Amino acid sequence: MVEELFDTQNQIVNIILLAIALLLLMSFAIVLFFYFSRRKITKAELEKAKFEIDYQKDLLQATIVTQEEERKRIAQDLHDAISSKLNVVSLNANMLTDGEISSEETQKIGDSIHTITATVLENSRRIAHDLLPPTLEKFGLQAAVEELCEELTDTEKFELKHSIDYVEGSLKPEKELHVFRIIQELMNNTIKHSEAKTITLDLTSGENNLSLRYKDDGKGFQKENIKNAKGLGMSGIENRAVILEGDVQINSSPGEGIEVFLTTKTNHAN
Amino acid sequence: MDSYLKILSEITVYFSLFYPILYLKSFVSQNKAFKIFTLYLVLLGVIQLTMRMSTKVWELDSNLFLSHYYFIGQFILLSLFYVQLLKFRWIYGILAIVLLFLGYQYISNPELYHMYNPLGFFITHTIIVIYALLYMYRSLSGKKEFTLANIGIFMYLLSTALIFGSGNLIFNLEVPESFSQLLVDINKVLFLAFQILIFVEWWKNYSIPKTKS
Repeated sequence: MVEELFDTQNQIVNIILLAIALLLLMSFAIVLFFYFSRRKITKAELEKAKFEIDYQKDLLQATIVTQEEERKRIAQDLHDAISSKLNVVSLNANMLTDGEISSEETQKIGDSIHTITATVLENSRRIAHDLLPPTLEKFGLQAAVEELCEELTDTEKFELKHSIDYVEGSLKPEKELHVFRIIQELMNNTIKHSEAKTITLDLTSGENNLSLRYKDDGKGFQKENIKNAKGLGMSGIENRAVILEGDVQINSSPGEGIEVFLTTKTNHAN
Repeated sequence: MDSYLKILSEITVYFSLFYPILYLKSFVSQNKAFKIFTLYLVLLGVIQLTMRMSTKVWELDSNLFLSHYYFIGQFILLSLFYVQLLKFRWIYGILAIVLLFLGYQYISNPELYHMYNPLGFFITHTIIVIYALLYMYRSLSGKKEFTLANIGIFMYLLSTALIFGSGNLIFNLEVPESFSQLLVDINKVLFLAFQILIFVEWWKNYSIPKTKS
């Protein structure tokens, strides 16, 4: 009887000891579990941060490339449209000061100088206009985009269907400029590369969102090459969309033209 | 073996008096959580010292009454500590409910004062372990203070819930002295591990005074 009792007691004692060991083991396991989870989470966060840094680097590089290209274009424009023509003016002026020319010739040279300076004036106005369209600053996005559309229609190469319904003040001026640049870039692409016949442009600003839809029926390009299509200014468009804190979707395939959707929040949404 | 455990026992006592001093050194400049935790360490030191005095100096028959001060003080201070870390207001509610329950327990059964209170140990330890677990979950992302001390609290309270909880049972069973001694020794080893973690926490995070920039 006593032995039996002792056995039962021993069993209880053993169970208590086992339970303590089990609790210790469990607590160890839980601590280890948390430790390894934490390491995993930290690693994932590090990778995410690295990815973001890489992305920022790409963005920066693309910006620099674009900037350099733009400088090159401006330099070319200045050279072709202004410097070379001013050279001719300078040459003509020299001939005038020579003195040994007939009045008929003077008249001819004067006319030439007049024509050339008029062209130079027109060119310099165009260059300045390209750099920053005065319409945008003076009359806002609606007018500036309408002007772009008019210019495009004037070329008579494309059929343009557009509907522009932008409420002034929906975006901050600097954001309006980005939207304008995106449209300008898309139109430039169409003009330069696409061989398109028809262009569709819809720009609408609602209560909270601004949406832009641009479509042409040109030759398009491989969607996989969008990222590499730096020459097409696609990365520029994407960068501007990032600055606008908006979403941009670029759909294109060979022979199918290009379709771009851009949405961004308006001032009222914030 | 016994002599080792005796040395270990001495170490835990002196250690528990030593590290509150380390924490007290930076008491003023630290936040509320640190202050509450320091008070908790002081409580542990005082309990350890009183336990030692009660047997060696005052030669009392039993020092079981100290266990009540230990677990109730521990529950109050660690609850406040986790309020600071977790920022959950409902911890105050739980604290009040448990204290009311314990109060009722002692009023309805004053005899309990001279025994272990297994239910009290179980409830308070389990609740603190849950807080520690919540805090571990929260420290998964990013560096948080008191990570090591939290692990120490979690492991020590979880494993000793049963040791203290089974105290009365062991007395009633009249098991051999060696067994109850074994439980005491296990507790000592775990307590030392807990102390080491608290010391490492201090060493890593608070040993060098913060320079304000």
